[in-house]
Formats: sequence, structure tokens, C-alpha cells
Amino acid sequence: MIRKTFIKENKELWRDGRVRIAFAIVVLLLGVAIWISARQYQNINEQYQIAENTERAIWDNQGEKSPHSAAHYGTYAFKPKYPLSLVDQGVDKYVGTSIFLEAHKRNEAQFSAAADQTGLARFGDLTPDFILLFIIPLLIILLGYNSFTKEREMGTLTLLKSQGISPWKWALGKWAALFFPIFIVSLLLFLITGMVLSNLKDFGVFSWQSLFSLFLVYIGYYIIFINIVLFISLKAKKSGIALVLSLSIWILACLAAPKAASNIAEAKHPYPTRQEFAANVLKDKKNGLDGHNPWSKESKMLEQEVLAEHGVDSIHKLPFNFDAYRMQKGEEHEAEIYFKHYNYLKEQYSKQTNLYQSLAVVSPYLPTRFLSMAIAKTDYTAHWDFSDTAEDYRIATQKFLNDNFAQNSSYGEWSYQADADLWSKLPKFSYEPPELSAILSTNVSSLWILGAWITISFSLFLITSKTI
Amino acid sequence: MLPYNFKYELRLLLRSRWIQLLSILLLVLFGFSTYNGKEKVEKRISDISNAKQEVKESDEAMLKLLDSVERGLEVSVSSWSIPTSPMAVGNNHPRVAAMEPQPMAFVSTGQADLFTHYIKPTVSGDDFALNFTEMTSPVQLLFGSFDLSFVIVYLLPLLIIAFTYNILSSEKEQGSLRLLASQPISIRKWVFQKLILRFFWLSILVTLSLLLVFFVVGIQPLEWVSVLGLVGLTLCYMLFWFALAFLVNLFVDSSAKNAVSLIMLWVLFVLLTPSVLNQLGNTLYPMPSRTLMINEMREQKVEATKRQDEILDNFLRDHPEYAINDSTQSRNFYHRYMASQKVVKEALEPIVNTYEAQLQRQQTWSKKLQWLSPAIVVHESMNQLAGTSTADYENYRGQVIAFAETWRSHLMTFLYNNTPFSQQEYSSLPQFEYSPTTNGTVGLSALVLLVISGVLLVFGFVAQGKSQKRGLLSN
Amino acid sequence: MITTNKLTKKFGDFTAVDNLSLSVKEGEILCLLGANGAGKSTTINMLLGFIKQTSGTAEINGLDVARNPLKTKEFITYIPENLMLYPSLSAIENLDYFSGIAGKKLSPHELTAFLKESGLQEEAFQKRISTFSKGMRQKVGIALALAKDTKVLLLDEPTSGLDPKASNEFGELLQKLKNKGVAVLMATHDLFRAKEVASHIGIMKDGKLQQEFVAEDISLTALEKAYLDTMNYKEVLS
Repeated sequence: MIRKTFIKENKELWRDGRVRIAFAIVVLLLGVAIWISARQYQNINEQYQIAENTERAIWDNQGEKSPHSAAHYGTYAFKPKYPLSLVDQGVDKYVGTSIFLEAHKRNEAQFSAAADQTGLARFGDLTPDFILLFIIPLLIILLGYNSFTKEREMGTLTLLKSQGISPWKWALGKWAALFFPIFIVSLLLFLITGMVLSNLKDFGVFSWQSLFSLFLVYIGYYIIFINIVLFISLKAKKSGIALVLSLSIWILACLAAPKAASNIAEAKHPYPTRQEFAANVLKDKKNGLDGHNPWSKESKMLEQEVLAEHGVDSIHKLPFNFDAYRMQKGEEHEAEIYFKHYNYLKEQYSKQTNLYQSLAVVSPYLPTRFLSMAIAKTDYTAHWDFSDTAEDYRIATQKFLNDNFAQNSSYGEWSYQADADLWSKLPKFSYEPPELSAILSTNVSSLWILGAWITISFSLFLITSKTI
Repeated sequence: MLPYNFKYELRLLLRSRWIQLLSILLLVLFGFSTYNGKEKVEKRISDISNAKQEVKESDEAMLKLLDSVERGLEVSVSSWSIPTSPMAVGNNHPRVAAMEPQPMAFVSTGQADLFTHYIKPTVSGDDFALNFTEMTSPVQLLFGSFDLSFVIVYLLPLLIIAFTYNILSSEKEQGSLRLLASQPISIRKWVFQKLILRFFWLSILVTLSLLLVFFVVGIQPLEWVSVLGLVGLTLCYMLFWFALAFLVNLFVDSSAKNAVSLIMLWVLFVLLTPSVLNQLGNTLYPMPSRTLMINEMREQKVEATKRQDEILDNFLRDHPEYAINDSTQSRNFYHRYMASQKVVKEALEPIVNTYEAQLQRQQTWSKKLQWLSPAIVVHESMNQLAGTSTADYENYRGQVIAFAETWRSHLMTFLYNNTPFSQQEYSSLPQFEYSPTTNGTVGLSALVLLVISGVLLVFGFVAQGKSQKRGLLSN
Repeated sequence: MITTNKLTKKFGDFTAVDNLSLSVKEGEILCLLGANGAGKSTTINMLLGFIKQTSGTAEINGLDVARNPLKTKEFITYIPENLMLYPSLSAIENLDYFSGIAGKKLSPHELTAFLKESGLQEEAFQKRISTFSKGMRQKVGIALALAKDTKVLLLDEPTSGLDPKASNEFGELLQKLKNKGVAVLMATHDLFRAKEVASHIGIMKDGKLQQEFVAEDISLTALEKAYLDTMNYKEVLS
């Protein structure tokens, strides 16, 4: 019964010229999207390699220089692009790609691609994620909206009923018939992506495992849509109504809900403006230890402490340059201030995330989107992870430079210049993105929500099919 | 026929509860989006006024300090932050260069969530390193904003599709078409009248609910000319979709097929065309790599630092106006630093300009091709109305950079003349005043949309469809 | 009033109407009998201009239908087999609308008068059509014919699915119209009703008018025999 319905439905679908055209268009779009993304990906990675090498060369060739000048001169950390960004670009366009690492200051990543594009960019890009998240659900609707209503309209339903069919087997056959072509399209897409990626040499670590997880997430997403569309088709009296209803759900889930969620999230848990943020940091800095200011109260306190610790009565007698030591202490203090303020941002964002998750009740798009970005390492968390690692590196660099300053000069010796070979002794900046298992465990709630959507929508569909 | 269609179309729409449903939907959608827009604008205004307030307070403190110093009193701040130093004023007491929202800013978020609305340029900062992007969660940028322009550009066409997809086909499906077609009327004309009547009623609903929402949400001040522009643009955009529905109603047959065709058109115009154009624009006029720009900038800086003394001498020779009244000839860190900053800036100018020029090219290109999709046209026009388009932020950026230059050179005169900054000078500090772009093309866009819709409608009358050739009711 | 001259319609290889020449004068009722696919409905569709003929001409009131598609419809009232009206409008509103778009502006008083004349019970005038039976809807159709002061009435299986009483009432209405000088062309399977109301009866088969009788000249049994003979004759041949 299931098999027969499945074969009959697929034959019907395939004989429909419009279905073939729709399929061809989707496959074509996907092809173009993958091609464009692959090119961009390669391009950006080449630039990334060049930029990183050049920057390191600039750093290494500073010559004789005061370590603190070098600290102010700073260096850059560049964000790499990951292989699966080919599938889902996530928020990559909206976050900066390079972080300036200098003394006294934690900088945010600069130069987001979106800021360098026209207003058109805000409509979205022709990338695989656009097609996977928006267009394929639409294709599901077009293929399935009249799956049951057409039987009603042609009158074949009465005939089928009189044959004593088992409703749920019949429904399952229809379900499988709709699932099959979608499954094939997605499978093809992911296989092609996998092959394209494993053939791009030297760039990033591509894992089939991540790609497969991504595939599963999207299949889950499509199953939800199939369930909903077929459920509506079962319930609706006419094909036209079924179509309009399914489309409304699509609009609500994919277009309206994310935007509304973003508005509510911003209104409820706003970020400070860039200027406010800077002002807040400055205020905290003023209240604490300033590495450059030997006259402040905090400096004096530090001085007393260090003198007591070393059992000497003058900072000239300390075995290291107290100026540099104080700078390092100031640096540590400032790092803490930044840590606090960036943590506030993270807290705001995690509150926003909770809000997005609660709105996932009306939109399966939301958990899918977040999971997909997370696995592709193009989500906001991945960006935070990178920027935190860069900050750790900045702190380590400052310590490296200040320690050199403290050990090789004496108090008041501001003219000290470090050797030209010091710079290359600084370890290179390296960043390892989190593993798939770690990503999945941080996004476990999204997985649960997606799972709940699948189970509930499928049972709803099956239960309803019995009443036909 | 028109009076009868007029009379009965309204009755039919009321009895099928379409008018009621549409009114509620429109009120909810317009209400929510306008409220969101208003909240954003209010936050923007309060952010700016907070920043200005802060500057005002710090200015008062600065004046107090100056007063003490001028009266020869001891002050308890570190030497380099005493505002007699022009560099201390320039770095620690910057002005707020704010981009105040336009009266219609609530209509469209545009680029407003991406870019910042006030900036405090300092004398020693790099102009090209001024960060014009706002601190926002990128997820918000990705999802976009539920603003009025989203409702009008994305959702309104879908409402129109639902409202019009089956005007003719439903007659066929419910069986009344045969009787209708046996009357001495042209069916095309009849469909046209029905559509125009539905357009008429929807226009009234849209206009009224917009005005009601503006009134209830409390948009102030309401600029009537702009509101008229907004309504006019919206109606022209609606007419475009009605014209498409007219063609689909005439040339396609069953309701479901009509709906599918119209949705395909929607996807094409609203989703696909913009993203394809964006992609093409980026491919044709690619932005040079910013990371590579950083490399270039760093190398220039290294170069400049090495030649600081030489640069300063050249600078003073080239710009005698800066040191006209200098008698002391004393030179310190800032003399050298500011001069080399200027050199670096000039050296980098061509590189920085490539970005602006490339963006300009992308912009011009997309301006030309925007006519491929009315959705882009309307969205861009709404951004223009709201003063949140890319061009507006480019304009603001230009003004800020110009102001930064003014600010810098104003204080550099003090620096190179080695004259201290005093209380009397306070009132002549340059102030930033944002002047919005004025060359809007909203009227033109509306007009072109009107013409396109007109052409489509005429095409519907002239073109001989399949159904006409075969006879209207043959199966 | 209704004239066809060598009217032919081919759908591909299949000839639906084959060289059909007939004529219905004012005050005449021509009933076309025939099995499904005999070409009755196709003929009516061509008279309405819904389908274009392959060759030959169809005229209404002396005007060629193909050349004057709108003008000829002014004289016609057409009641399809299953007359559908706007379900959410009342009888009087439907009548007002359809006569209105046909160019007849009528006062409420006149509308009521026509509905009365069509035999619809008065309490139904203000009721929505969605509650109406087929017979009631047909009465609204007749009221429309009266309102339009129609010259030609085209009927496609009007009595199928009607109960005998309703069918009888419909016959009486036709007589009324006939007496007003309306030319009626009615396609039907109902031999009995045809014999009752028609002035002429034609039997169609394979797109051709096989036989034609004056209704008064033939008894119901003779008509039935002639009908069955026509049907069987061809089948034997083929």
C-alpha cells in the first residue's frame, strides 16, 4: 500500500511539467550558488593567507625598538574562513574579519563585508543557505499542497475509501513520495559540496562528519515542512486554500518570525552603542590603575606593595624596571575591564538567544538557522570564540613585551630598545575552532527544539490522516 | 457595468469578510512595524542627546579647569590632560558628530542598524580607522528588521496575491462564469474592473490604516509631503502587483495555478532578483580586500615613523600657515606625530578612495539595474524617504571626515603656534551639523512604477491569450 | 431568430458538430435530443461564442455570432445545466447584478416583479443563493431572461435533476416565454418534457441533426421509438 502510493505519487509529480521546471530551477540556482560561494571562499582564503604572512613579516622586521612602542604599534589577528561557510554563510558578512591587537585596548573586529556593500546586500545573497532555508521549503509547498486536496477535488477520495484502504498507510505513502525528491536534491547538493570542498587543497579542515550533521539538520527541517504541508492538505477543503495556508506558514516561519524576533530581542536586551561602550570602558579605566600614570593613587599602592614584597625601600633597587612592571599590571587591569564589558555584551546576547529559542515555537526556521550556522562555524558564537582567542593572544603579547622591558632595563629607562630578533620570538597567533561535538553540545537546546518540531508535526499528521 | 461591479464587489468583499480580514491584518502589520520603527528612532534620538549631554558636562568641567589654570591655581589632573593643551582638547573633548534621524526614519531601518549615528572624531585619530559600524548583534543584522518597508515590500504583495489570484478562476470553479460569459460584456474588461475595484478598496484600507497607525503610535512630527510620498509610492507598488495579477488571471486558468504563478513572480522579484543583482554587483565591482588594505596602511605607518623629523620639517615648510605666530620653535611628540599622521593620511587617501569609488560604482550599477525589480525600487525609495539608505550613510561619513579635518586643523593651528587653548577660544570651536541628502528620487520611482503597471495592464488588453484563442470556456 | 448554416466544429480528428443547419423562429421552442457527445452542448457553446466554429455560420437575430460576439449576447439568455449564481448574494441582488452588467438598469420594484413572474416564492427573494435548490436558481435565470427582455433563450439540460413538480413548473414558464415571442433552443435528454413544451424536436447524433419533427405531429411513444431507432441504427452500421 505504502509502496504503491509512493510510486503512483512520484509518477504523477514527475509527469507534471511545472514540477520538472521548478526542480530544474532549484537545482540550477543551487549550482550557481555553490559555484559563486566556492569562488568567493577560495578568494577570501587566499587574501587571508597573504594578509597573515605580510602582517607577521611586518611584525618580525620592526628592528630595534622599544617593546612598548611595538605594543602600541600592535599587530593584527585575521579571522579565517571555514570550509562549511560554503553551505551557510551565517553572520560572516556582518562581523569584522580583522582585529587590531594593541596595548591598553581591546578592539572589536573591523571591516564587515556588509558595511562595504550597497543596500541591496540587505535583501540577502544568492548562497546555498538562502536556497536551503527559503526556496526548498517553498518547493515542498508547491509539490505537496494538493497532495490530499486533489483527491478530494477529483472525487478519487471516495473511490479510494470504498476500496477499504488503510488511511495511515496511504498517508505514509504520500509522505514518502514527497520526501523522496527533496531527499535526493539535498543529498546531491551535499555530496557535490563535499566533493568540491575536499578538492580545495590547503584551506581549512574540512570534515565529512560536520557536513553530514548539517545534512541531517536540513533533512529534519524539510521533514517538518513536509509534515505541516501535508497536514494542511489533509485538513483543507480546497487546493487553493491549502496553498494559501501553507504559504502563510512559510512567510510566518521564514520571513516574519526572525525579523520580529530580532526587533523584540533588540528592544528587550539592547546592546550599548559603540560610543556608549567606549565611554563605559573609559570610565572604568579612569577609576583603576593606569599603567602610564605613576602619580595615581592606585600606582602608589602598587608601588608600596611591590616594595614590601621585595623588601627594598626604593623602586630603583628593584631587580626589574618598575615602569614596565606597572604597565603590565595596568594592562592586566585593563584587560579585566574589557573582559567585564565584553561579558556584558555576551550576557545580552545570551538573553537574546533565549528569546530566539522561545520564538522557535512558532518557527522551525529559527532552530535550523542557528544549528546550521553553528555547525558551519559561521555563527556569532564562533565569532566570539575567535575574538576571545585573539584577546588572550593580545594579553599574552603584552606580557611578553612588558616582561622583556622589565627584565632588560632599569627604572626610568624609557629609551630602552629591544633587539631586532625579539619580535620573531613572539609565538604566532593560532586559532583552532571548536570541534563538532563541542558545537553540538552547546547547541543542544536547538537540537531538542528541532526534534520536538519533527515529532509533534509528524504525529499530528499521522493522527489527522486517520480521520480522513 | 462599472456601477454594478462597484456596488456588488463591495458587498461580496464584505460578505466574504475579506475587507474585515484585510483591515485587521493591515492594522496589525502596520502597527507592529511602525511601533518598532518608532522605538528605534527614539533610541537613536536619546543616544545622541545623551552623548551631547555628556559632552556638555565635560565641557563645563573643561571650562572650570581652564578657569583655574588661567587664574594660576593648582589643578589635580595629569599634565597632558590639562585643556590648555590643544591636543588635550582635541582628544579628550571631541564634539559629537551626530546624524539626527529624518522625520520619516521610522519607515525603514535600511542601513541604520549597521551604521552608527554619532561619532566623536579626535585630533590624533586616523580618519580611515573611524569605525562607522554600530555595535549590534550580527544575528539581528542577518534577520533584519520588521519595519514598515518590510511589510510594504515583502508582505503587501503577498496579501495582494491572496486577494486577487482567483478573481476569474473562482468564477469558473464555482460555475458562475458561464452565466457571466453569456452576458454582452467583455470578460477582460470585467476582470479589469473587478481588479481595479479591489485595488481601490485595498488602497483605501492601506491609506486609512497607515494614517490611523501613525496617529495611534504617535509619530511626530508628521511631514505631510513625505507621508504623501510614502502612500503614493505604496499605491504605485500595489498597482504593479495588481497588474501582474490581472495578467495571470487572464492567461493562466485554475486558481491553484494562478497562485503558484504569482508566488513564483513574487519569489523572482522580491527574493531572487535582488540577491542575484547583489551577487553580480560584487562580482563585477569587487571590493578590494580590507585585510590587504591593513597591510598597506601598516607599511605606510612604519615608513612615516622612521622619517618623523624629516616629515615635520617638510610639513612646516609646506604649511607655514600653521605656525605663523610661533615664536618659541619648541617641538614635542605631537608636532611630529600630527605631521606624520597627515602624511600617512595623504599617502593612504588613494587606497581609501578605491573603496569609496568601488562602492560608488556598485551603487550606480545597482541604481541602473534596480528597475528589474520593483521591490528594489520601492525598498530603496523608502530608505531614501527615511534617510537610511547607503547613500545617506556615505554622505554622513563624508561630512564626518570633513569635520574631523576641520577639527584637527582648527586645533593644529594652536599646536604649531605653541599657543595654549583658552576659555575665550571655546566658543569658536567648530561644531558639526549634519545636512541630509536632498536629491530624492521617490517621485520618479513612483512614476516609473505607474508606467510599468500601465504597460502591463495595456498588455493584458492587447495580447491575445491562449484562452482567447481557444474560446473562453472550452475544456 | 436562431439560425445555423452548415455549422461545423472539429476537435482534432473528432467532429463534434457536422454541417448543422437549423433555425428557430420567434415564439418557437426547438428541443434537441441526443446522447452525451452528440454535439448539443457544442452547438449551444458556438451560439454563445464560447467556442469558435471550424466552418459555417451561427446567427442570432440576423447577426453573425463570431463577428458580433458582444452584440449578439444582448439578445440571449443562457441557462447552463447547473446554473450557478453568487452564493453570498440574495436572489434579488443576483438578478440586479446580472441584468445590470447586461445593461438593464432596473428599479427594486421591477426586480421584484420579474422574480414574481418567474414563480419564485416571495420569501426567497431576500435569501442568499447558497440556500437555493437547482429549481429555484433556474427561476432566477428565467427572471433574468424576463428582465433582459430576451429574444433568445438557450437551455442546456434544464430539467435534469429536477423533481417532476419543479420540472412541470419549468415547462409552464417556458410556455410563457414562448408566448412572449422568445425563440428557445433547449438541449435535453428528457423526451417527456420535450414532447410537452417543444414546437419542434430534433434528434442529434454524431454532430448531425438526424431527424426533425413537429411536436404536435408525433406521439410520445413514436418519439421514443424514433429516438431509439436513431441511436441503434448508427451503432449497427458502425
